Amino acid sequence: MDFFIRNKTGASLVFYILFCIISMSLQSTSFTLSIEGVASAFMTPFQKLYWYSQNNVRKIWAGFTDLNSLNEELRLTREKLQNYERTAEDLTEIKSENEKLRRLLNFGDKVGYDNVPAMVISKDPDNWFRTIIINRGSNDGIKINMPVVAFNADEKAVVGKVIEVRGSVSRILPVISSDLKIGVMLQDSRSPGLMQGSASRPGLAQIDYLSKSVQIPSNVYVVTSGQGGVFPQGLLVGRVSQTVVTKSSAFQRAIVTPIIDYNKVEEVYVIKYVPGQELVELTQKEEQKK
Amino acid sequence: MILVYILSAVILAVSLILQSHPSFDAIRFAGVKPDLSFIAIIYFSYSFGSFYGQTCAFITGIFQDANSNSPLGLMTLPKVLIAFFAGFVGRSVFQGSSFTIILIIFVASLLKGGLTLIFALIFNDASVASLLHIVLPESVYNAVIAMPLFFIYDKIFEFELSKERY
Repeated sequence: MDFFIRNKTGASLVFYILFCIISMSLQSTSFTLSIEGVASAFMTPFQKLYWYSQNNVRKIWAGFTDLNSLNEELRLTREKLQNYERTAEDLTEIKSENEKLRRLLNFGDKVGYDNVPAMVISKDPDNWFRTIIINRGSNDGIKINMPVVAFNADEKAVVGKVIEVRGSVSRILPVISSDLKIGVMLQDSRSPGLMQGSASRPGLAQIDYLSKSVQIPSNVYVVTSGQGGVFPQGLLVGRVSQTVVTKSSAFQRAIVTPIIDYNKVEEVYVIKYVPGQELVELTQKEEQKK
Repeated sequence: MILVYILSAVILAVSLILQSHPSFDAIRFAGVKPDLSFIAIIYFSYSFGSFYGQTCAFITGIFQDANSNSPLGLMTLPKVLIAFFAGFVGRSVFQGSSFTIILIIFVASLLKGGLTLIFALIFNDASVASLLHIVLPESVYNAVIAMPLFFIYDKIFEFELSKERY
């Protein structure tokens, strides 16, 4: 015992190294998962607390700024009352703004599928992995492999898919991750390909196995093909920003800029889309193996 | 020393929560965000020795791995190893000039990135291109923001550092 106390730096270093190596080697076992679960369960309340407090401060701040803008509007209205001018135009403007706000509120209905709206509460703390944690979990009916979409202006597009579900939180693997492979097609030519995150171009994705005979115009939309069973057909994913053709390959590659910016996504909708039966069985088999 | 433990835990917890918060993406530069918890770990190793630094690195790394999609240990092991060596390059060897701090954090971040890449290639999946897209920009970013952070930490731990005549 004295030896360990005298050499605590070396002894603890050896313990830490062994722990990490064993843990990485056994990453798929329940042993590792249970430690991750405990640590994650410890972190989540703090992350939620921070998110909620920041959200409330933002709301209070927004209240102050709204008050200023209301004062300004009051002053303008008085001027307008004095002049009796432009009343009709103002009314039209307010109406259109009201319509815009109503449209934003109704995004949930526009998803087109039964969905669960969720807020992003956390992201990967490092630069190596890019996943998103949302404030909805199995308690809200979310299951692994459910597709996730979000809105950029009026465009509804794929964010990723659910890969981990706990009681009140879930983890989403975004389309820019090289671990997520999606069956996609070009919207105009219907040419199929396999999309995954680009390892050499962070924040972008790439489509492989596109036929060389296909002419790919710039900015053409990429949509899900429905193959694979996770994503319904026709969901918007991104736009082609570049094509790469090499002589050695029988296919061409397209670089895709996702519609939903990973760095800016705050609100998402988990589509309660039941994946294909084959996929469910495959997932269950994988889980049984673990 | 109890106060040092408490303050260290608070700094590491705040760093970890901050860098995993969605709004932290707003300060991404060249596609990467700084690793605040790593800078704090290097500071603890640099100021209080290898044992303290590597223990902080181990605990923080476990929480980081739990919060990330990485296999448990992948982000922990490089931090532990770098913290161990940073303890040797402590204040007794190098006095805390601005240049020294920038250099230490830059080299430490490069080594951490290199080790993470190696472990990711062995145990998970990674691309060597990450050296250019993640490791290098993150090292520069960490080195740039290390100066003000070290200054703040020096103020926080002034009571303890003065005992050790730094």
